[in-house]
Order: sequence, then C-alpha cells, then structure tokens
Amino acid sequence: MSNSFWTVVGFTVRNKFRGKAFVITTLVIALILSIGINLPYIIQKFSSDDNEAVSIGYLQKTEDMLKSSTFNNATLAQALNKHFEASPEPALKLVPFQETGTPQGDEKALKQAIDDGKIKGYIEFQAGATGAFPDGFPDVVYKSEKLMDTNVTESLAGALQAVKTEMVLQDSNLSQAKRDLLLAQVDVQTLQITTTAGAGNVGEGKTSSEQAMDMGLVYVILILLVMAIMVTGQMIASEITAEKSSRVMEILITSVAPVTSMFGKIFGMFLVGLAQMLVFVGVILLNMALPHNREPLADLNIRLADIDPVLLVYALVFYLMGYFLFATLFAAVGSLVSRTEDLGQAVMPITVVSLIGFYVCMFGGLSNPDTTVMKVFSFIPLFSPYAMVVRLGLANPAAWEVWVSIGLLLITILVAGWLSARIYRAGVLMYGKRPTIKELRKAMKAYKV
Amino acid sequence: MNPLKVDRIFKQYGDKTAVNGISFEVGEGEIYGLLGGNGAGKTTTMRMVLGLIYPDGGSIQYHGKPYSAEQLRGLGYLPEERGLYAKVKVSDQILYLAQLRGMSRKDADANLKRWLDRFGVPEYYGKRVEELSKGNQQKIQFIAAVIHQPKIIIMDEAFSGLDPVNVELLKGTVKELRDSGTTILFSTHRMEHVEELCRNITILHKSNPVLQGNLKAIKKQFPRERVKLHTDGDVSGLEAIGGVLRVDRRENGYELLIDREEAARPILELALAQTNVQRFEVMEPTLNEIFIKTVGESHE
Repeated sequence: MSNSFWTVVGFTVRNKFRGKAFVITTLVIALILSIGINLPYIIQKFSSDDNEAVSIGYLQKTEDMLKSSTFNNATLAQALNKHFEASPEPALKLVPFQETGTPQGDEKALKQAIDDGKIKGYIEFQAGATGAFPDGFPDVVYKSEKLMDTNVTESLAGALQAVKTEMVLQDSNLSQAKRDLLLAQVDVQTLQITTTAGAGNVGEGKTSSEQAMDMGLVYVILILLVMAIMVTGQMIASEITAEKSSRVMEILITSVAPVTSMFGKIFGMFLVGLAQMLVFVGVILLNMALPHNREPLADLNIRLADIDPVLLVYALVFYLMGYFLFATLFAAVGSLVSRTEDLGQAVMPITVVSLIGFYVCMFGGLSNPDTTVMKVFSFIPLFSPYAMVVRLGLANPAAWEVWVSIGLLLITILVAGWLSARIYRAGVLMYGKRPTIKELRKAMKAYKV
Repeated sequence: MNPLKVDRIFKQYGDKTAVNGISFEVGEGEIYGLLGGNGAGKTTTMRMVLGLIYPDGGSIQYHGKPYSAEQLRGLGYLPEERGLYAKVKVSDQILYLAQLRGMSRKDADANLKRWLDRFGVPEYYGKRVEELSKGNQQKIQFIAAVIHQPKIIIMDEAFSGLDPVNVELLKGTVKELRDSGTTILFSTHRMEHVEELCRNITILHKSNPVLQGNLKAIKKQFPRERVKLHTDGDVSGLEAIGGVLRVDRRENGYELLIDREEAARPILELALAQTNVQRFEVMEPTLNEIFIKTVGESHE
C-alpha cells in the first residue's frame, strides 16, 4: 500500500519534471522574475543621461524689481543653485540670462533658449501678495512647454522652501542649536502592542520592521497559496482527466487502490509545486543578492531575521491544509470529466471560491484585518487558509479561534478527502456526459473504496 | 480448482440489467471465449472479473479465494480501448505499471526488454507512446498486460486494429501464454480467432448467456447443414433431392443447404453418377453461423 503510494508519487514527479511544458513554464516565469527584479536597475541604466541636472533659465535683472534686499532674482537663484549643488544628485541648475531691455525681448530670448534645448523652462519671480521681505515672499512662476511638469516644480518648491527657511532664519537671531532643533524632523515610531495573549504575536510588541516583515510574509503566503491552488490544482485535475480519457485509469485501478493513486498524485504534485516555488524563491534571492540590486533591498529594510517564527509556522500549517483541501476537490472534479476540453468549465466553481477567498483577504483583509467579514471567513474552511493567515499576521486572533479554525479545516479535509476518493473511484469509470449528482450517488454506492 | 470461477454474477444499471446471471469457469492453461454483439454485456462482465465494478449478486473466485486487492494485482488486463500515457516513454510507463502490480523495477525492466525483443521492437524502449503506430501501441499495451507474469489475463478485443502479420504475432504469443499455464478470459468479435484459440465459450445476448459450453460440443449440437461439392462437370437435378433447401453455384462446384444430414448421401450419389467428384464435405457449422443463428433467434 505505502509502496504503491510512493510509486505513484515518484511517477508523477518524474513525469512533470521531464515534461517540456513544465520545464519551459518554470524557466519563463524565472526569467520574468529576474527581469522584474532587475528592472529598476535596467531603467536606471537606460535613463542615465537624464540624470544630469535640468537646466532652468532666469533673468538676471539689474534693477531690483522686487524691492527687497534679501529676495531678488539674483539672490534667490544663487541660493537655489547653492542648495542644489549641496545635494548629492542635483535635480536642477539655474542658468542666468541677461536682460534685453524690453519684456518682449526677454521672453523671446528665453523661448529661443528652450527651443534650442539649452534650458527646459524658465522661472520668474514676481512681487508677492504678501508684500516685500521681511513680511513677504515673491510669487514664483515656472514656464515650460510641458504639461504638469511635476518633477521640476516639486524640486523647485522643495528647494525654495528650504531656501526661504534658511534666509528667514539668517535674518533672525536664533542660536545654532535652536535652528537645528527647528529644522530636525519629527520621527514617529510605531510599536504594536497586544492587550490579550493572542495566538499570532504572543503578546510581544513589534517594531515597524517586524510589522513590515509580517505584512510581507502574509502577502507572500497569500500569493503562494493562490498560485499553488490555481496552478497545481489545475494540473492535478487535468492529469486525472487525461488518465481517464486515455483509459490508463482502467489499468491503474486494477493495480492500485483508488485512494492511494489519488493521494499519491496529490502529494506528487505538491512536491512538484514546492520544487517550482523553491526555484522561484531561489531565483528571487539570487537576483536580490547581485551587487547592483543590494541597495534597493537594504532600502526596503528587509531583514529575514525579523520574521516571526510563530507566524511562519502557522502560515505553513494553513498553507499546507489549504493546498490539500483544494487539491482533493480538484481531483474529484477531474475524475468526473471525461474530456480535457470540458475541464475548465468543471473546475470553475472551485476556482471562483478560491479567488473569492484570495481577493477578499488581499484587498480587504490586508488593510482591515479585524472586520467581521474577515472573522467569519477565518472559520469557513475554504476561506480560512487565506483569512486566518491574514488575521494571524496583522491582527491578533485569540488562540482558541485559531485552533477552532484549524480543527474545522482538518475535519473538512478528512471529509473532502473521503468524499473525493469515493467520487474519484466512481467517477473515473463513468464516461460520456458529466454525471448528475443522482447518477454519481448511485455509482458511489456500487463501489467499496 | 480452476483459477477463475464466476458464479451467477448479476449487474444492474438503474432499471437496465447489464449482466444477468452468468457463470463460467476457466481452467489453467485455457482460453475462455466471451462472445456477444455490441452491448451484450461482455465488457461489463470483464470489468466485474477485474474488480473495476462490483456485481450486484453472485460471486467471483480467483484461485478459490474471493476478491481482494492482492488478487486483483495478480491479474493482467488488456483493455478494449488503448490505455497508455501518450507522452510518457514506453519504459517509464511499463515499469510504473509493473511496479504498481508489485514487481521490482529491476525484474520489470528485464521482462520489458525480453518482450520488446520478442516483438522485434527493442528500439521502442525509450520512445514515447505517441510516436508509435497504432499496431505498435497495441504491442506495448499487450506488454503492459503481461509484464508482471499474471496467472490470469483478461483480454478485451485483443486483436482489434491490427494488421494480419501482427495478429498472427500476438495470437502466437497468446497461445504460448496459454501453453505455459496462464488462464485467459478472451472476448472478440472475430469468430475465427475464437475457433482457433478457445476451448469453452459463452455467447452473451442482451445481458443473458444464451449459449455456453465446450466449443466442439456446441458445434455438435448444431446440425451440419452445409455441403460442399467440387466436381469436374455440371451436375443436374440437385434441387430435386429430398431435403435440399438451396443450391448455390460456386467457382468450381456447388454449395448446398440441407435440412437434415441424411440428405447428404443422395447428393454424392447423384454427383458420382454424372461426373468426377473432386471434393465432398458435409461441413461443420462455423461459429459465425452459430453466433448469428443464436443471437438472431432470440431476436424473434
């Protein structure tokens, strides 16, 4: 019995690994992942020319139009240039233009400069509504051909803000220490606390990095689970249908108990799926470890050591149970269909249920893990593998809730496994149109599994 | 103790009776023929023997023991429709099936190579099934049925879709298996194969066994009513002989239909009186005729 189980597992795994389709799919996905991870670097490589500071023109007026010794065209432009030069990657550079004498002439000269590509646009300072310094600051107009040139305007606004602050401070009599205090950013740190000893985070506070890792882990588990269910489940169903339509099934059933062959296939596919995931994870880690990709990794503050081991264990438990529950259902449906063409339609209900669980958790649960919907979902066996993992990672469900959920899931797996095995046993020899539930029940009675 | 004993098995699908109380025994080194038209219940009977479906009544005994997983693994099965993995290598799937039947991979491998050599196609070992012609797929299917040296083999339409050369090849192999003591349950539409291979038969018609027993004995039950007459010249007046129902002119003589065996003698006498007789035979009924007669009669 156990011998034939491993024979089925071995055969399933071997055939998948040898199949061209599987190898090619895996390679293609690995390639896409690699490209995705390297994309920021690649884009950076291609656009390195644009990395130079954008030139912006301004008029160097002899007359102090703004009637302020602190804020005029020259001082502002100088201060701006000084500000940009001080930053490691200057975004803008201000280029002076001499007055022509008439406003029309000035405008023509500046437009000509834009047309020649010398500057991207030009900046004008006008007397502000608030009046002259020390009570006012000039209005700033940036003129360019582009619509919504936010890159430049944001850089300008940021720089002007800094310049203004600096100038005002210079004018005041604040001590250096006060100025530093004023300019220092206020940093709010978050620390998660728990009021009750829940199952997920065992009553310990979490730093923001740990919280981020929890969120990341939940995210990854959700995606891995939905992928495992969709891809591997489909493979299980289609393999069984193929065996049925090629009538290999008739020979198989006389050689090996249907339950053994079904669970052998499910387990074999699980190993195949796992190997595929490992390849993908390996590709991701390898790419992230490349020297040019290290920086973004560090920027994202990803530290594997911050993963909560309790959460990881729970997540794996729910992942495995979710996989096996859906896999048995896919196997049962696969055994009912005679032709591979009909399979897509037949597995639709399972696919939809799986996707509902996924989407609800992904787009509702991640931001609001404590809603009633999530609480209810975390007890419904087909949804709980998604929902409870979200709650474990991001909320703080009580231990009894988690264990009730696990218990319900286990019972469902056993019932579904038993039922699927019987459907499988009866279904694999029913050809022609898909059997009705009545026909199936009759057929199931005829077989001792 | 016969290796395979089927006792009044009965199977119903809904209101429809698929097999209605068939019994037979197959001895060691015997090929048992299961005949019947389409939908007569042959395949259902075979599936019950295989344990693919369970009879609603009656019992099946293998070497004196009832159905069990162990017994089932000892069976060999050649299904009517081909059942192989199209995209899997011959060696992989045959070894897989043999292992599932409890054979070690090494023994199975040796057996497979021997069989491929036996069929003169050792190069198929590493080929995928979809690359092979239909006839060659059939050989692989056959190997899948016998790889684990089963004591009992069930063959459903063993020779369908094969060219005459391959039919002879497989037929010879089946005979060898029989002579080495294998018990074979065999179904086919081809009566000449049954006549050549089977000792005992059952003819099924509309789920009922209508004719059963030793092939020679069955033939004896049916009157010999065809006479073959080959002569040098023409013979006149054959129609006038009492008991002659019909006279058909053939290439080198006549074929007559008589209603009783006694009518044969005056035919020969009349022919000898008129010309030289090359051949005269009161023919045994062929199984084909018996089959059509039996199945046809119960139509009425």
